[in-house]
Amino acid sequence: MASRKEVTPTLVGALAEYAELPLAPGREEVITSMLETWIRDANELSRKMSSAKYWELAPATIFSHPNEAEEGN
Amino acid sequence: MRKATSELLELSLAQAARLVKSKEISPVDLVDASLERIESVNGRLSAYITIFEEEARKVAKAAEIMIVAGHDLGPLHGVPIGLKDNVAVKGFRTTAGSKVLKDWVPDHDATVTERLRRAGAIFVGKLNMHEFAWGGTSDNPHYGAVRNPWNTERFPAGSSGGSGAAVAARTCYGAIGTDTGGSIRLPSAINGVVGIRPTYGRVSNYGIIPLAWSMDTAGPMTRTVEDCAIMFNAIAGHDPKDQSTSRAPVVDYTEDLNRGVRGVRIGVVPGYFFHHLQPPVHNAVKGGLKTLEGLGAAVVDVNIENIHGNISAQLTIEAAEPSAYHQRWLREQPESYGADVRTLLEIGEMLLATHYLQAQRYRTLLRREFLEAFKKVDVFICPTLPFTATKVGEMKVVIENGVEENMLSAIMQFTGVPSLTGLPSLNVPCGFDQEGLPVGMQIIGKPFDEATLFRIGAAFQSATDFHKRAPNI
Repeated sequence: MASRKEVTPTLVGALAEYAELPLAPGREEVITSMLETWIRDANELSRKMSSAKYWELAPATIFSHPNEAEEGN
Repeated sequence: MRKATSELLELSLAQAARLVKSKEISPVDLVDASLERIESVNGRLSAYITIFEEEARKVAKAAEIMIVAGHDLGPLHGVPIGLKDNVAVKGFRTTAGSKVLKDWVPDHDATVTERLRRAGAIFVGKLNMHEFAWGGTSDNPHYGAVRNPWNTERFPAGSSGGSGAAVAARTCYGAIGTDTGGSIRLPSAINGVVGIRPTYGRVSNYGIIPLAWSMDTAGPMTRTVEDCAIMFNAIAGHDPKDQSTSRAPVVDYTEDLNRGVRGVRIGVVPGYFFHHLQPPVHNAVKGGLKTLEGLGAAVVDVNIENIHGNISAQLTIEAAEPSAYHQRWLREQPESYGADVRTLLEIGEMLLATHYLQAQRYRTLLRREFLEAFKKVDVFICPTLPFTATKVGEMKVVIENGVEENMLSAIMQFTGVPSLTGLPSLNVPCGFDQEGLPVGMQIIGKPFDEATLFRIGAAFQSATDFHKRAPNI
């Protein structure tokens, strides 16, 4: 699971294509090294958060209604 | 008798407001002093994008007439205030520090604008910032790099760099900043001023150009904690125009300012809060804790098991959400963005939905751990950031052992924690490095307990004079 596939300008170009994001010439090179670091760290966090220990945790983006009664909704 | 301009500018916001109320000074004097100061320093600081010279003078005259007639608008009557340029002011250009919005004139006030106006504030201008608030340097390619009044070769941090520089340089008595990953607290620390990131949902974001919806907040930046509490009183509370705001009761945030800190329990996370710091930052914040202990507070080690990993979660969320907001503009006019923001927005389109959601799940975990820890302590205190002001234009920073680090990750070492957990946090100036550059400490509180942060900050300022020193500009 701990894959270390290198982020390359070609991969950046492909990701941009998937996102329908036109990149100006030379942008792939600018993005590559920063994206490599961010994806490596994000993958590490994903490995941690996908462990069984945290299976019950919901993302912080869900709707919650703690004051529903007093708000009269 | 009319006070000299320099004397007026040295007044705190609270003092200025009291003197207006007692008719000892006029709002016209305050606004004239502010505009004169802006005129004298803005060429060196680039803190303001737009100056409301004509409008501010007209409003000041009206405020003078009203106070003389016995009509008091509120706690900010006649006080000059600056607004970060991502905060809408009806009828005035609001650029968010961008070329994309260089000609945008809102037809409405942001709620914070409206509430400050209602409390009697007079707006003297719109403040420069990191483009679209997406960055921590305020090195703005469209309106000039904001500079630090303590040393104009140094950066003011960001993204509310103009707000921090403007307040420190005494061009206004308070300013509004916005904070997603640290954008109020970082420039507050680096410019030696006070600034609060409120609990998420305590202050309305209506009329503010978003950066990352799930973490965006707005708050005041001032020279004293009392001033910050006064401004906070004016802007806090539920807003029907912003459904993310809470109906939790709003208290008078100035009420506990003189209660002291005897018996207050301060948490410190071992292995995180005092590691990886420049020595002057370490020493100043440790000194701050000692001062508070001397005033009767107790410092306690509290472990937060999963605090490591917060920077990646912060960057992932802060990358993905702005990229969604900017998706159309990034395709239609990519050349309108500055180089760094363009790259960050492009990167945000390349992270996976699972990265984003695991980061959001991590927020649940981290918040849960902090809420549990708050059963043992009242607040946490740590440095606001691990270094003092770097040179303008630097994208790397050296914190220890001569190792260069990426500015964006390094600058969020401590501010990311409240941003992710939604907790309120206050920066208070707590020292200077060997070059005379300010250091700040961050006080993190329980949800909706901003009053305790103000109480601790006020006690600290009553025992220290860091906030009374002025940059020589």
